[in-house]
Parts: sequence; C-alpha cells; structure tokens
Amino acid sequence: MIYVLYVIVSVICIYTARHYWFTLNRLFGFQRHPYIDIDTADWPPVTVLVAAHNEEKVVANILSALMTVKYPEDKMLVIPVNDRSTDRTREIIDEFVERFPTRIRAFHRKEGKGGKAAALKDAMELVETEVILIFDADYIPGAGLVRQLTAPFFDPEVGGVMGRVVPMNCGTNLLTRLLDLERSGGYQVDQQARMNLRLVPQHGGTVAGVRLSALREIGGWNDTSLTEDTDLTYRLLLHGWKTVYQNRSECYEEVPETWPVRIKQIKRWAKGHNQAMVTYGLHLLLGRHRASLRERIDGTLLLGVYIMAPFTLVGWALALGVFYQGVAPLHGIIAILSVTAYAAIGNLAAFFEIAAAVRLDGSRKRVCLVPFLILGFAVSIFAVSWAAVSQVKDALTGAEFHWDKTERFRKAAS
Amino acid sequence: MNPFFAVVGLMLLTSALLLLPLVPALAELHNKSDALPLNVIQQHAGEIRFFADGFRSYMKGLQPALQECVSSGAHATGTMPDGSEYVVLGRGEDALFLPFREQNEVHPVIIASGTDLLLPSGTIFSKDIYSAASVIGGTKNRYRAILAEKDIRLGRESSVMRWVHAVGEFSADPACRLYGRVSSETGIRLSSECSFLRLNAPYIAIGPEADPEQNPSQAPVIATTQPRLFHDGDFEIQAGAVFQDNLVVRGRLRIGAGARVCGSVKSEKGLVLEPGVSIEGSLISASIMQIGHDCRIRGPVIAERTMLIQAGTRCGTPHNPTTVSAPNIQVEQDVVVFGTLWAREEGQAVEGS
Repeated sequence: MIYVLYVIVSVICIYTARHYWFTLNRLFGFQRHPYIDIDTADWPPVTVLVAAHNEEKVVANILSALMTVKYPEDKMLVIPVNDRSTDRTREIIDEFVERFPTRIRAFHRKEGKGGKAAALKDAMELVETEVILIFDADYIPGAGLVRQLTAPFFDPEVGGVMGRVVPMNCGTNLLTRLLDLERSGGYQVDQQARMNLRLVPQHGGTVAGVRLSALREIGGWNDTSLTEDTDLTYRLLLHGWKTVYQNRSECYEEVPETWPVRIKQIKRWAKGHNQAMVTYGLHLLLGRHRASLRERIDGTLLLGVYIMAPFTLVGWALALGVFYQGVAPLHGIIAILSVTAYAAIGNLAAFFEIAAAVRLDGSRKRVCLVPFLILGFAVSIFAVSWAAVSQVKDALTGAEFHWDKTERFRKAAS
Repeated sequence: MNPFFAVVGLMLLTSALLLLPLVPALAELHNKSDALPLNVIQQHAGEIRFFADGFRSYMKGLQPALQECVSSGAHATGTMPDGSEYVVLGRGEDALFLPFREQNEVHPVIIASGTDLLLPSGTIFSKDIYSAASVIGGTKNRYRAILAEKDIRLGRESSVMRWVHAVGEFSADPACRLYGRVSSETGIRLSSECSFLRLNAPYIAIGPEADPEQNPSQAPVIATTQPRLFHDGDFEIQAGAVFQDNLVVRGRLRIGAGARVCGSVKSEKGLVLEPGVSIEGSLISASIMQIGHDCRIRGPVIAERTMLIQAGTRCGTPHNPTTVSAPNIQVEQDVVVFGTLWAREEGQAVEGS
C-alpha cells in the first residue's frame, strides 16, 4: 500500500512542478505569438461552421456577429450546422439565409448519430475550403477574430488553431465567477505556456480552426469520440501537424450558471479525455510518429489530467489507511519537512497559476475569490472521479454514452 | 479555565482563522466590484488606422475654424471641449514664425493647418498635429502624432512617439525613429538608419532608389492542391531547382540561389534564402531568417527571432499585399514590402552589405 501511495504522490508532484513551470514561463519567459501580427494578406477562402443543437436562445447572436467580421465577404462562407434541433433554431437560421443568401448556407441535419463530431462530419459535404473555422452557437466572435484564426494557416506545419474563450456571464453567481477564474488559468497560463514551450496546446473545438487537408489526412471527424476536440488534437499531433494557440484571439462564451449543468459538462469532458488517453496515450509516449520528446511527455500529462482526480482520491484514502495502520511513510524530520513543504508549495500550485493568470489579465479584485476555488475543485474532483468510474462500468456493460447538450442561460434574441 | 469553554473557544478561534482568507472573497462576492467580463476587443480589430481615424473625428470640431482661417490667412487659438489647447493656422508656413523656435522647446498645443504645414527644427510637439494638406517637418523634431490629408515628410533624426497617418506618401529622412504606428494610403519611404515598429501602406520602400514594381504572380497563397513534404533535420534546396510542394523542415533550411518554391515553406530552425529565390507561398521560421538579395516572396514572411532582408527583395505584390513580421528586423536599401512591415521589438533600415 505504501508503494502505491509513493507512486501517487510522485505523479502529483510532477503535475505540481508542471503548474509552476507553466506559470513561471508565463510570468518571465519568452512569449510566442508568431501569427498575431499577420494583418495584411491575400486571405484564403474560409468556411465557418457553427454547431447548433437547440440553440434558439443564442444562434442569432453569433450569426449577426459573423456578418460583421472584417474578412473579405466573397471569401467567407458561414454554415450553421443545425443538428436535429426541435426548437426555433431552424427557423432563425433560415431567416438569416434569406437575408444573406450568398454568405450563409444552412445545413439542416434531421437524423443521424448524436453529438457535435457526428454533425460536423455530415456537414463536411458542404465544405470546399482549405481553412475551416468552428464555433459553438453560444460564442460571439469579435470583428478581427476570423482573420486572427485564419492567419496561422499560412504556416504549412499548422493543422489546427485554438483561440481564447472568455466567459461573458461571469458576474452571474459564484459558479460563473469560479469558472471565469478557471478559464483564465486554463487559457492565459496553461495554453499559452504550452504554446511558448512548443508543447501541446489543446484544440478546444470552438473558437478554433482546422486545415481541411490535415483533417482528411487524419481520417476526418471521429464521431465515436466524446470530445472531438481532444481527439483531434492528438490525431493531428501524431500525424506531424501542429495545433497552435492564439491567446489574443479572444471570444465571448456563456459558462454554466447552475451546478448540475456544470457537473454534466465536466463529466462529459472527463470521459472524452479519458477515452483519448486510452486510445492514444501509449502510442503517443512510445510509438513511432513525428511528435518531439517534449510533445510526447506533455501530451501524455495532458491526457492524464482528468484521471488525476480519482488518482488523488485513492491517494487520500491510502494516506488515511497508512496513518491508521501506524506506518510512517518516511522517517522523522524528513517526513515532517516533506509534508510541510508540499502543504506550503504543492497545494498552492493550481491557485498560484490562476492568480497569476488573473494578474496577467489585468484584473484586480476578482483574485480575492481564489480561496473559493476549493469549492469548485471539490465538486470537480468527485464529479470527474464518478465519471471515470461510470466510464469503466459502461465499458464493462457495453452501455452507450448519452450526449448531454450544455444548457444555455441567455435570453433569446428578439 | 473551564475545559468546555476552552474547547469551544479553541474551535471558534480555529474557525475564525479558517474563515479569515474568505473575508475578502465574501466581500468581493457580495460587492461584485470586479465582476464584468474581461474586455475583449470586439470592434477595432487592431486596425493600424484606429488612432488616426479617432483623431480625424476629433478634429471635425475644428473644421469651421480651419476653413475660416484658410479664407482669411490668419491663425486662431482656443480650447477643445476636453480642455486641450489648439492653434489653427490658415497658412501652414506660419508655423515657422510662431513663438516656438527655441531648441528643445515643448509645445503642448494641438496644431491644425489648412495648407501645407512647415514645422521648424529641434522642437518637441507634445500634442497631435493635423494638416488638411501636407506636413514637412524640420530636423531633430519629436512628435507625438501626426495626421495629414496629403504627404508627410519628417526631417533627419526626428522621432514619432505614437502614430502617423498620411493619406499621401509618408517619408522619413535618415536616422528617424518611428516608435509607434505609421500608415499611409499611398506609400511609405524610409531612409537609412531609420528605426521602426509597425508600418502599413500599399508599398513600403526602403531607400530612395527602391521602386515599387509589379509582380505578375497570381497563385493563391494557401494552395489546396500542394502536398506537404516533411523533413526531420537540416535540408537544402539546390540552386536553380523548382520545388512544387509545401515544405516543413524540423532543422535548418537553405534555399539555393535562383530556386523557386511553388508552395509555402516552414523551418523550425534557421532559414537562409540565397539571392534570387522566389517563394509563391508563405515563408515561416521558428528561429532566425536571412533573405538574400533580389528574392521574391508572395505570402506572409514570419520569423520568431530575427530577420534580415537584403537589397532588391520584394515581399508581396501591389495586388496581393502581405505581412512581414519578426521581433527584430533589419532591412537593407532597395527593399519593398507591399502591405505591413511589423517589428515587435525593433526594426532598422540599414545600409546594404
């Protein structure tokens, strides 16, 4: 038991060091934004896919925003992918098609497999351009965003692009404020540090882009994946395509406003991530492919992010067990010093990262909310662990995953 | 002490200590003093002309006074609604005779002129300058910002701290320092030893001899039909060779003299173009880049460290402008960039090697 605990503690320490490495890189390291300065170019034709499943509350906002972006009108086609909606989504999309017949082409999907990847896969029959941008329907792109997300594709090594997501309803309640902090840490520090260090920035599947030839090379959208974005990141990586992160390509999104919705969301992310870990983890770390050593290590650690939750719970249980068995994990003063050092530094790693991110964002008072993140982490650790357990159960019983769409909270556009 | 009270007291004290870090958090949660979404730039999209456009709108309030002064040939002074003082000149050459001719004198006044504005030398203009015609600056001046509806010419060793926009051509005499944004609807011409950060114009010519020429190439920059050749380690394209594909090299890349690449090129390490190389697509280096004499590059040119562009090279075309960007850029004489030339840390126009 004690040796299992040693392994768990060692892995946790690796993730702790990773948090510090990323944060210190963001605070003091060289920052890479190689494509953000491309403001003049012979812009290529792009297709913007807007994934929409029962999005009557939000779909008009994104279509309106896309009609005002600064991109040559004759080179941008918007395809709202209406995935079996049963509300007014189809009607709203058709109204926009009527108003902008040369700029919007609707794709109404009436049947088929559930999930975003399946819908995008079907919509590919309408896509003819080399550059594809993807937005979820609750996002509101700014005027320069399409150009910013397209610019990295001038680099022939780039297969995928990811922008930054910024919660627009962050002030609603405690949950949205905590998610705002988490997003800051995740994008402002985590993603940008991975970009700086030439590691593995993660494709988020929205506010994102993918190169058509790269997508074809890796076999298209994987509709068996629970998180098509993680799946895409790793397939691109294994085929020698880079995913790049653009921290200054920001886009507003809506975050969950209730805990049940948040728990459903994070459980789906955890299952998808774990699925990718099982599918690609070993091959990424040890297989023959084009990823560099640092990409292999970082990619593997990234795949393990969600499995760390049950891992940590097991560690807690083992630590208690060891204590009640009267086994000293280390001896005397070393044990005390180790525990004290970890308590002082290790436990703070994630909070330090988020506080640094908030500081980099130029925010002032919201950093006061960092102590409340313990609440968010507590909910997440149990939700993610439960997702892992149920995933194992599903695998054993052969149960199929049920796709839960994230509920929207915005009032419908008039 | 009663043990019961001691235990209760200890518990209360411990609880208070536990809750102490939450006091600012609870206060912020209640007060919502920093609960607005992060400010995402939604509208101006980093447009280089953003400040110039704003200043032009700001100057609309002075148009009646400007027209009146042009008609009468007089000048007028006053205060803008925001409290900034201004002087309006009916005849731009009057600026030479206004009382700011002493060396290094600071002039915290907005200057607006209805005709060509002639500015004296050795002066610090700490407020924005507007001219309905051209601006011709003296030597060793320091400007905050300039907007001209025609040409702008800066005298030797002048500097601009924020931005310049000319509807006509912008030109800078030797050793000028352009710290902010410089844009023109017509063209930009920099002399040797000028330093710059961000330039945008239909053409940006370095040196008096640089001639913005036509380039007939019309192929799309991101070609869908070209496959990608991937090479681990260093790679070289032989002189005079024609390379059809997109090329990604994980090591150093050298492209021999006179070679032609029909696709785009990426190098993870140093990238060297020998003289006369032609690139139909983009040219990207994750490290340093050296572009030799008389090269032709059609797509964006990006280096993540430093870039040297040697004499005679053309980037972009008049019909397909592009971006050339790196943290540090050195550009020799007789180089023309059509579009944007952007040095994040420092750009320098240098004498040819």
